Amino acid sequence: MSEKLTRRNFLKLTGLGIAATAVLTGCGPASRYVLRRPYTEMPEYSQIGKSTYYATACRECPAGCGMIMRTFEGRAIKAEGNPAHPVNRGKLCPRGLTAVQGLYNPDRYKTPVRRSRRGDARTEALSWDEAIEIVRSALNGDPQRVAFYLGLNADHVFDFVEELTRTKGMPAPVRFGALGMFEARATLVEAARQVFGKATLPFFDLADADLVLSFGANFLETWLSPVAYSRAFGDFRRRGEPLKKRGYLVAFEPRLSLTAGSADEWYPLTPGTEGAVAMALGKLLVESGAVRMPEMLENNYRGVNVEAVAQAAGIPQEKLEHLAQLIARAERPLFLPGGGALGHASGLENALQIFALNVALGRVGQPGGVFLIAGEEKADSLESVQTLIQRMQAGEVDTLFIHGANPLFELPKSLGFEQALSKVRQVISFATFPDETSLFADYVFPDHSPLEGFGYVRVLAGTPRFAISAAQPVVVPLYDTRATVDVLIAASGLPYTDEVDFIQQKLQPVFQRSGAPELATFWARFLQQGGYWEDVGESPDSADLSTVPAKVLLPERAGEKTFHLVVYPTQMGDGSGANRPWLQETPDPMTTVMWNTWVEINPKTAEELGIHNDDIVRLVSSAGQIEAVAYLYPAIRPDTVAVPFGQGHTALGRFAEGRGVNPAEVIQSLTNTVGDLAVGDTKVRLEPTGKRRPLSRLESKSGVYGEH
Amino acid sequence: MAEEKQTGRWGMVIDLDVCTGCNACVTACAMENNIPWTGEEDAGYGRGMHWIRVQRYWEGEYPDISPHYQPVMCQQCGRAPCEPVCPVFATVHSEEQQINLQVYNRCIGTRYCANNCPYIARSFNWFDYSQQIPTPMNYYLNPNVTVRRRGVMEKCTFCVQRIYEGQERAKAEGRAVRDGEIVPACAQACPTDAIIFGDLSDPDSRVSKAARNQRRYTLLEELGTEPKVTYLKGEGTYGG
Repeated sequence: MSEKLTRRNFLKLTGLGIAATAVLTGCGPASRYVLRRPYTEMPEYSQIGKSTYYATACRECPAGCGMIMRTFEGRAIKAEGNPAHPVNRGKLCPRGLTAVQGLYNPDRYKTPVRRSRRGDARTEALSWDEAIEIVRSALNGDPQRVAFYLGLNADHVFDFVEELTRTKGMPAPVRFGALGMFEARATLVEAARQVFGKATLPFFDLADADLVLSFGANFLETWLSPVAYSRAFGDFRRRGEPLKKRGYLVAFEPRLSLTAGSADEWYPLTPGTEGAVAMALGKLLVESGAVRMPEMLENNYRGVNVEAVAQAAGIPQEKLEHLAQLIARAERPLFLPGGGALGHASGLENALQIFALNVALGRVGQPGGVFLIAGEEKADSLESVQTLIQRMQAGEVDTLFIHGANPLFELPKSLGFEQALSKVRQVISFATFPDETSLFADYVFPDHSPLEGFGYVRVLAGTPRFAISAAQPVVVPLYDTRATVDVLIAASGLPYTDEVDFIQQKLQPVFQRSGAPELATFWARFLQQGGYWEDVGESPDSADLSTVPAKVLLPERAGEKTFHLVVYPTQMGDGSGANRPWLQETPDPMTTVMWNTWVEINPKTAEELGIHNDDIVRLVSSAGQIEAVAYLYPAIRPDTVAVPFGQGHTALGRFAEGRGVNPAEVIQSLTNTVGDLAVGDTKVRLEPTGKRRPLSRLESKSGVYGEH
Repeated sequence: MAEEKQTGRWGMVIDLDVCTGCNACVTACAMENNIPWTGEEDAGYGRGMHWIRVQRYWEGEYPDISPHYQPVMCQQCGRAPCEPVCPVFATVHSEEQQINLQVYNRCIGTRYCANNCPYIARSFNWFDYSQQIPTPMNYYLNPNVTVRRRGVMEKCTFCVQRIYEGQERAKAEGRAVRDGEIVPACAQACPTDAIIFGDLSDPDSRVSKAARNQRRYTLLEELGTEPKVTYLKGEGTYGG
């Protein structure tokens, strides 16, 4: 470079590199403390009438998609996908798209606050100095009497708290969220550990498969990494050049989800029989002689009575035979163990049986097969939450810190978190939003909204490659909030200057891998590109089937007057999306209902019970009861009812409060052998109430089931 | 109805075989185009302002039942039924972009256009929904798109602000607009890439090639509205 590099030329040169996408790093490499100002004090790089684009990570769910935020005069305008990011390749889901409505939501916490009575919305503002003093004295108490409850989204906060608890000798943080709960994520990780020897999430190469059998995996809506899987589904379906076949999707689900809606064949099986069906398919494959299986599996399958399985699952035997033929003919079949199969008492066995099919057909590490995600998955099962609740109940917790989670809303009420919370001397929440849990916190020290702060997200399941998404502020913090890691650093005295320093040190191994000449260069690229990823993925080198059981228990079927209950997360995600008016007004894809909760009932069942559309019905389980509006749904088993999760907030701002019901009230706290919630085993009774309340829906009601 | 010139005919192809019905296009459109929400009651009355909606149809009976999804927005007709009925020329045909424009400051809210639209693609501001957006939520409003007030009709514009921007950029750089350079918000968000947008007058553009697919059809073809949106039928047992 010449010695006389004028500022103008320098700008031109740097401009060239970024002209294609015009994505800027939040701050120059050396100037991390430069803040973006509102347009009244316009920074010099902001040109009038020109938008500035920042790459960041979407933190609406744990998938870690890359996001590019269009900003204009210091305001975040539109969230777009990052085209270079290996997970979402420029695409986004409704939740990510409405991220700005979370950022600019008028009901956010604006300062640190103290609450004199739990549950009371009235608060008194504190200064950050007082707040840090309160956190410091809490951390300096008996380390055994401190507990952390963290959500799934913010990996840098989790990593920091893990280090903090290790240093101070505190119990490890509990990490749990509703999305992981409904997918039985810990069960999936445990099954992968038993089969592939590594406790991590598997990646399923949907795009290159030609036949996919999904056992309760709603991968187009919420499962693991929905945008990555939707993108893969497009490739799976499209006839490629020159000879790629159109992928064929088969779905086993008691209630037709968005994914089953796009399937070529849908089988409404009895909830919990997924593992047995997988075994029956295995047996039929062995019998057909088309596939050679490991001897151990052949022995397992010998004891399977296909007729009995067909009977229990409610799938005609000839359909199972037809499916076995499809599998035998397919070049690249793939079997997905979804939350519908895993959230049962026999969840782990179901998962193992489904993995066994993948292994037996040689689908491990092959194009269109099963891979492993690089890096460990650190999500707890419900069991660790139960342990924490016991500690709280026994009065062993003096201070409970909560970040990024809303257990009072998400957890089944029957677990008794609320009662246990009252035994905790001091509850400190870092919530950005007045959610149910922070309403029961004595102190709320609000974190920045995800779009105002730094961070990183380890890519969960969207690509088998090593990938980490970078989060950087796209706007100046609107209110007097502070990054939780900054608060904890100040209060704990851990040797970091600030959050950015912690993140940079934590990313040292990634920086070493990246081959960048110095940390500052790595950091600048990391922010500008929206993360760091490598080209090669990992594939499991061996599979061990010794733990695959020879038998799976068939579930207890719903009795004469009871129904299987399917609770499924929607575009509201873990429920935190309910405060976005446009997520509320985006119609549910299957029912087109907006702004409320409904109960899906098969029209035939409804007729027998005398229930019409828009009637309010009561669902009663041993755990509790809820009342919601009936929606006659033609694609659900007659012995099953389904309720979407995400509404029924008693807090969370003006757009969420007092709207719909929370099915967590009726979920029974049954667990499987891994300690995950057996969410699919809850059974309910259905009672008409005689009341009516019309649902807002996009579809016309005229002509639907003879109503108008 | 103005005669159309032979270049820059913007059009769209929607492949229903890969459309999953996920509604990401609906949300993306709302966030790009400053579409206000109306709330539970008004949305239930059919006053929702969605410029694009995903129509879900059922076919068959349980258990052999399957939904079909069809995203529908303004079809940007070549011979648009909405245009000749407007007494104030608020719904006019753009000669430059060759789409149907809605000029908000001309619109006097007769709603003739919506009544004459066979695709039910138009939505009317029955109330001042956009003024009900609480501060600071109005910060995210897109400065390139007019915020509409009560009594004004609105509809999908093919993200005309993005078309302008792309054309201006190409002009400034002294080149033609590249295929795929201009993408409306719905196509940009679509996780399965079911929505393809581009120039129909260029026979080699991605959208032209897709529109020649043998699965092609247009909505209500018998009306002769010459829509610029082409659908590709679903294959197999699904969609179609």
